[in-house]
Amino acid sequence: TMFIPQEDSSFTSTLTYDTLRFGEFEDFPETSEPVWILGKEYNALTEKDEILSDVTSRLWFTYRKNFPPIGGTGPTSDTGWGCMLRCGQMILGEALMCRHLGRDWRWARGQKQREEYISILNAFIDKKDSYYSIHQIAQMGVGEGKPIGQWYGPNTVAQVLKKLAVFDTWSRLVVHVAMDNTVVIEEIKRLCMPWLDAAGAYEPEGVGELNGCLEGACALAEEETALWKPLVLLIPLRLGLSDINEAYIETLKQCFMLPQSLGVIGGKPNSAHYFIGYVGEELIYLDPHTTQPAVEPCEDGQVPDETYHCQHPPCRMHICELDPSIAAGFFCRTEDEFDDWCMRIRRLSCNRGGLPMFELVDSQPSHMVSVDALNLTPDFSDSDRLERFFDSEDEEFEILSL
Amino acid sequence: MQINYFDFCFRFRLSQLKSLIHSTDLCRLSIRKQEVAGIRSKFPNKIPVIIERYGREKYLPPLDKTKFLVPHELPMTQFVTIIRNRMALLPTQAFYLLINNGGLASMSLTMAQVYKDHQDEDGFLYMTYASQEMFGHRFPL
Repeated sequence: TMFIPQEDSSFTSTLTYDTLRFGEFEDFPETSEPVWILGKEYNALTEKDEILSDVTSRLWFTYRKNFPPIGGTGPTSDTGWGCMLRCGQMILGEALMCRHLGRDWRWARGQKQREEYISILNAFIDKKDSYYSIHQIAQMGVGEGKPIGQWYGPNTVAQVLKKLAVFDTWSRLVVHVAMDNTVVIEEIKRLCMPWLDAAGAYEPEGVGELNGCLEGACALAEEETALWKPLVLLIPLRLGLSDINEAYIETLKQCFMLPQSLGVIGGKPNSAHYFIGYVGEELIYLDPHTTQPAVEPCEDGQVPDETYHCQHPPCRMHICELDPSIAAGFFCRTEDEFDDWCMRIRRLSCNRGGLPMFELVDSQPSHMVSVDALNLTPDFSDSDRLERFFDSEDEEFEILSL
Repeated sequence: MQINYFDFCFRFRLSQLKSLIHSTDLCRLSIRKQEVAGIRSKFPNKIPVIIERYGREKYLPPLDKTKFLVPHELPMTQFVTIIRNRMALLPTQAFYLLINNGGLASMSLTMAQVYKDHQDEDGFLYMTYASQEMFGHRFPL
């Protein structure tokens, strides 16, 4: 007969996902294949320290426990449901780092914290009034049809971040979420330079949602009108149904090679990850699936930041394990950087190396702006003929005419 | 002996079943081909399209009608707008059309261009719609 002692079953129940995963981090592979991390190329044989330093410098947001209840009475931990929200924080955190510190900034344990760095960390601390806290993301998600504690997809968190960024007057970011796997250049230029609309440089007709940017345009200082609001471009995609279509694998890798890359949020089925690069056929990622205690800022203004940086070698997984639902992110600090990004994307789509993951177009087709103007009605003379023709079919066609 | 007998019966039935399935498939294919040939001769300016809901889709509603006859010159983006409107989706909701269960439909192409490259053996153009997966775990907190 089988006898399972009480101790055993309680032991099993403490072996959660978290504890099972910790302590099994493989060292970074010794390979001559190039390593790409957020637009930077490394040699794994000669630059291992540089690779690990780059990875450690990224902001690592994980599940936390014992934070103030969300909404006053809600959850005090996001374990089990917050992984995609944390990935959203990581990709936006990377954008804020590029914005305020630059891509080449490196973290070192115990170093004196720069003012900008402290402000970035404070934007993500687990309390209700931080710009991009788990509290803000979960509560803003209610408007996207996600009650607090529900799971998010890459598009859900992208939409929420877009709304939250409007209140971050310090960073003045434009977060644009490109829908229908299409990036419209003109739309982005209007968003990042809203004062051009006011000056009449762009035709005002057909202006869609402007991300709340127009309101502040008049109040901007003179010298800033010549500038460009830094762009965070998020492109939610579905690269297959149950598995990633292999035709996208090369294009996905190329995303991490662009200097504007903010990485990709996505995951394996059920587990969200923040992908920051690749080596060979493996994706390199930061994993939010570790529950750490919430952090309180010190009285001297410094933030205890060791738990916000991943100090073990980064996780890796085969690219074919990727769930097809992702969002790719890019950061363009200036208009030149955006033009350069467009040029690189066009060049990539000319190469026949893989299938483009999204399309880049100059302007929005007019019908996308005004759906009501569509003159698409079922053609009744056609459907009369069709009914006679298809008397044997139980399911009839719907006829669309231009 | 007995095992061999059952084995024989099993194999015999299996091959019968396979040929039956094969002939049903062929039969369906030829019915579909006839259906397309008929519809195309009646409506030479229209392309026959079948839109299917992804089997594991949880967020997007099913469509009342799944068979469409669409104009050759209709841009894909306009077709997607029509389907999105049918489902009363918000512009911020994720919606993807995948052609032949594989690649994302390119929005700037016309239906004729997509049809030319991706039409099925039976003459229909098949597309599947899906939103995005959600990520999370169920385990004791």
